[in-house]
Amino acid sequence: MKNTLKQVFGSGQFMMGFVIISLIVLTIIIYPLFNPGNPLERIGIGTFFKPGTYVSAFDTVNARQFYTLNLPDAEAKRVGSKLSPDDRVSMMEWLVAAGVSEEDIDIEDTDSFVQLWWDTYDPNVRFDSMTTAFRKKIGRIDVALEGILEDMDVIIAKEGEDGSLAQSSVVAGSDYVNVADVANVRFLPLGTDNFGRDVLKEMISACRTSLLIGLLAGAIATLIGLTLGLLSGYIGGIVDDIIMFVTNLFTVIPGFVLLILISFSIGQEQRGAPVVAIVIGLTSWVWTTRSVRAQVVSLRNRDHVNLSKLSGHSLLRILATDILPYIASYVIMAFILQVCSGILAEAQLSMLGLGPKTTEIPTLGLMMYWAMAYTAHLGGAWWAYFPVVILIALISFSLNLMNTGLDQVFNPQLRD
Amino acid sequence: MGKAMLEVRELTTKYITRFHEDVYAVDHVSFTVEEGKSIGIAGESGCGKSTLALSLMGYYFPPLHYTSGDIIIDGKNISGMNPDDVRVKILGTEIAYIPQAAMNALNPTRKILKFIEDVILAHDPKQSKNDIRDLARKRFEVLNLPADVLNRHPVELSGGMKQRTVIAISTILSPKVLIADEPSSALDVTSQKLVIKMIRDMMDMGFIKSMIFITHELPLLYNVTDSILVMYAGQLVESGLAKQMIFDPVHPYSKGLMDSIIVPEEGTRDVKLTAIPGTPPNLKNPPSGCRFADRCKYAQKLCKSFEVSMRKFGEVSPEGDTSERNRAYRCLIPVHELKESYDKEREGGLSS
Amino acid sequence: MKGYRKYFTKKLAWFFITLVFAIILNFLLPRLMPGDPVAQITNKALSGVADAGAAQQVYNQYAELFGTKKPLIVQFGTYIKNLLRGDLGVSFGQYPRSVTEILSSSILWTIGLQFPAIIVGWIVGNFLGALAAYIRKGFDKVLLPISLFIGGLPAFGMAITLLVVVGINLKWLPTSGGYAYNLIPSFSWQFVASVFSHYWLPFLSIVLISIGGQAIGMRSMSIYELNADYVKYSRFLGIKDRKIVWYVFRNAMLPQVTGLALSIGTMVGGALVAEIIFSYPGLGSQIYKGITGSDYPLISGATLIITVMVLSASFIIDIIYGFIDPRVKAAQME
Repeated sequence: MKNTLKQVFGSGQFMMGFVIISLIVLTIIIYPLFNPGNPLERIGIGTFFKPGTYVSAFDTVNARQFYTLNLPDAEAKRVGSKLSPDDRVSMMEWLVAAGVSEEDIDIEDTDSFVQLWWDTYDPNVRFDSMTTAFRKKIGRIDVALEGILEDMDVIIAKEGEDGSLAQSSVVAGSDYVNVADVANVRFLPLGTDNFGRDVLKEMISACRTSLLIGLLAGAIATLIGLTLGLLSGYIGGIVDDIIMFVTNLFTVIPGFVLLILISFSIGQEQRGAPVVAIVIGLTSWVWTTRSVRAQVVSLRNRDHVNLSKLSGHSLLRILATDILPYIASYVIMAFILQVCSGILAEAQLSMLGLGPKTTEIPTLGLMMYWAMAYTAHLGGAWWAYFPVVILIALISFSLNLMNTGLDQVFNPQLRD
Repeated sequence: MGKAMLEVRELTTKYITRFHEDVYAVDHVSFTVEEGKSIGIAGESGCGKSTLALSLMGYYFPPLHYTSGDIIIDGKNISGMNPDDVRVKILGTEIAYIPQAAMNALNPTRKILKFIEDVILAHDPKQSKNDIRDLARKRFEVLNLPADVLNRHPVELSGGMKQRTVIAISTILSPKVLIADEPSSALDVTSQKLVIKMIRDMMDMGFIKSMIFITHELPLLYNVTDSILVMYAGQLVESGLAKQMIFDPVHPYSKGLMDSIIVPEEGTRDVKLTAIPGTPPNLKNPPSGCRFADRCKYAQKLCKSFEVSMRKFGEVSPEGDTSERNRAYRCLIPVHELKESYDKEREGGLSS
Repeated sequence: MKGYRKYFTKKLAWFFITLVFAIILNFLLPRLMPGDPVAQITNKALSGVADAGAAQQVYNQYAELFGTKKPLIVQFGTYIKNLLRGDLGVSFGQYPRSVTEILSSSILWTIGLQFPAIIVGWIVGNFLGALAAYIRKGFDKVLLPISLFIGGLPAFGMAITLLVVVGINLKWLPTSGGYAYNLIPSFSWQFVASVFSHYWLPFLSIVLISIGGQAIGMRSMSIYELNADYVKYSRFLGIKDRKIVWYVFRNAMLPQVTGLALSIGTMVGGALVAEIIFSYPGLGSQIYKGITGSDYPLISGATLIITVMVLSASFIIDIIYGFIDPRVKAAQME
């Protein structure tokens, strides 16, 4: 046993998979300690805020102390954030179409360029060569340019009791606030989703649920598969015939279809995460049954089993002590694969809209479903779905890797 | 003395394990097989006899590696040849092999005739398929194999039939040396007899010019081969004519091996069957001195420190029987002393 | 020949048995669920229908289809009778189109997409797997983890990645639908070109996934075969490596054929979800529509069609396998 464990952990592939999955599990356990609270809390009003650090504008202007920093590139950056190089090219295209010669345009010199734009641009002019989309884009750029060259201070005013505004402070271009002085700063590494939830927090919670679904589904499938496989392989005869008939039947009738039919029939209301896990487990035991049976058949007539039979040991005892230890490695491998396919099945079901009911807990599949439903992929909100895809792939990759490693330990022929 | 078909000189090969350890499974082995003769190699399982069979092919693939020594087939030294040349010019034509587990030796999805075509075309790409078919048919007929086997797949043949088919395929190019590694061990008695008869026929008809027959079943060797080599822990320990080796072994290991079997011939009924106690040494670090010393009941102090090489009887006891001149053994104790101990033991055994 | 006939008869019988059971399950599963699914589904379906007359019609249709009050066996009789006439009921969501009509327009898209994709993925995957087993060393060290990663990816993950990278960021290919939205299906050059360009992304996402899965299977199979006794024996007979590699490839390939028959159901399931990502007008998208619209007849019909497709595919593969593996014949002789 000790030797086997040493071999298993000596396999590079198993170790790599094991390390990845351990890291994921550790994150699931540790992250909520640092960031407690309801993962489904809707903190953002609006959809798909991009990843980054969110600093309270209110707290910033009300900061206790302003610092004056004279940074040489501050102005250029300010303009740059409003006027991207791509915008400049579009503007130049318009200007050239409007008859300005290219030599007269200096795209780099912001002042003269913007001045030229204001002198020339007329929203009512239309060129045949331009698409509507381009015209709209130019229009947006023009609006954004408003006030770009103004170098005026911002006046903060407070509303008096009589409703009049009184200047309370002035924020100059060179005023800075230390982030440490701002009371409310929220780092959202993966932004928010369509409901305004913190994607990272939600994803870690979802990952936990999905792993649990996978484990439950895998445990059910392995238990059914193991029981049927043991009985069918050891008892043989009519029991074997019946079990194998059913198994073969469910091998060819696609499990995915059964999953859809059952999940749909159960209905949205009854479909909690455990129910989904159980349904997945109930529809995916066939492979385990087949492989366990094959193993048991090859063991059935070994000497030690016959000896046990002659000694009058009970069926259960023979199965538990003379058969099970020999197929344990296969069962573990089958279980790992079942967990993996359980997680994928949940994700696919959810993508179809047949996942767990949505109000209570997030799952990886549901996150995908909502991201797709709100067309995050078309709107460029990669943070809402891509990390989820990567996470699912990582889980599946690490489990498969562990399985391949085990396979090589227990099937010496596959070794290098 | 006939022409030497196969001469092996100080051949050493090793396995390199997964943990990069060297295991010398064939350790400075030398012997000669003459034209028309057959030689048997005997020993317990794990003694290196099957590795010797693989090593004699002159073609190595991991984990087996060539270390040193010469393999000379009909005057041509193949041990220095490039592996691709060995494959095209030597394997199948000069030296052929019958594997231990013939059950799986044939590609299950290829018809026998197709496979024979592959074998012949690998050596002579210009042969026409018609010629090959005729050759195969004729050969099968002579060897009493039904010709329709040629159009079957291996899965359609019984075990004995498959083994005989493998033998026919191995010798289809009339090799100079045939190496048979336990060709009949897995078969029932009837099939075994057919296989042995077939091998004898092939020797008689000249399809093979010499043979090395490897087995752990000693009585078989007595029936099939002219002389016998006994191997222990990667080394040869005794060689001689089959009859001498079976009825008058000298090396304590050979003696132990022969005592553990029944030979259906003269004067065996009065011998008690005894097994050799202990297990062969681990070849990763073989013991110094005589490798058998730990299990040998005649071992003396010197045995564990002093390594002996194969010694010819003629050199040890010049006045002995001339027919025993070519026998050789690897033991510190002189021949006559060993024989005396054996005689004493037998008397003791009879009187008790 | 006798062995083959026995094999085919067996497979044909098995095909019909599984078909019958699949139909029974398709009929029974929704009716065995707790509560009154019929009422539930009908209510849900009707809540979306504004036109009172239409609602009544759907309700009647539905009541007739289910025969709610009758015993199960009578319901089953009606079900089979309708099935034999090709009548799968009327869609709730796309009223008044019949389910048969909806499905027959999407089935070609699904077959046209999945059949070539699975076959191409299977061939390329097997080739790469065999290559990895033969070369081992560096190529294997790279290919195995990549295959594991890609093969383990859900089909929709690959679909989204391709869609965003190739379709949206690089703008190389259209991302959605089976053809440009402003075209009407016809045999014009423009339409065919549009179908072709919309085909690539869904096709690639299915192909890549199946390459990964197949390559892993083929690799283990080939390594297993490379260690077989016949390989050693063939080498000792002087047969060239190229020939031996062909033996190994062929022998490792054969179990992969039956493997395909067994795994085709899973592959189709994954591919159906990929269809949704690309809004491909196939069965996958119809199932999605059916689920979001609580369109029971549509889902029931679509799952039945998919089952029949998968069963037929495995049956055909089994038949082909019978022709190419001589071991099948021998096994039937025993």
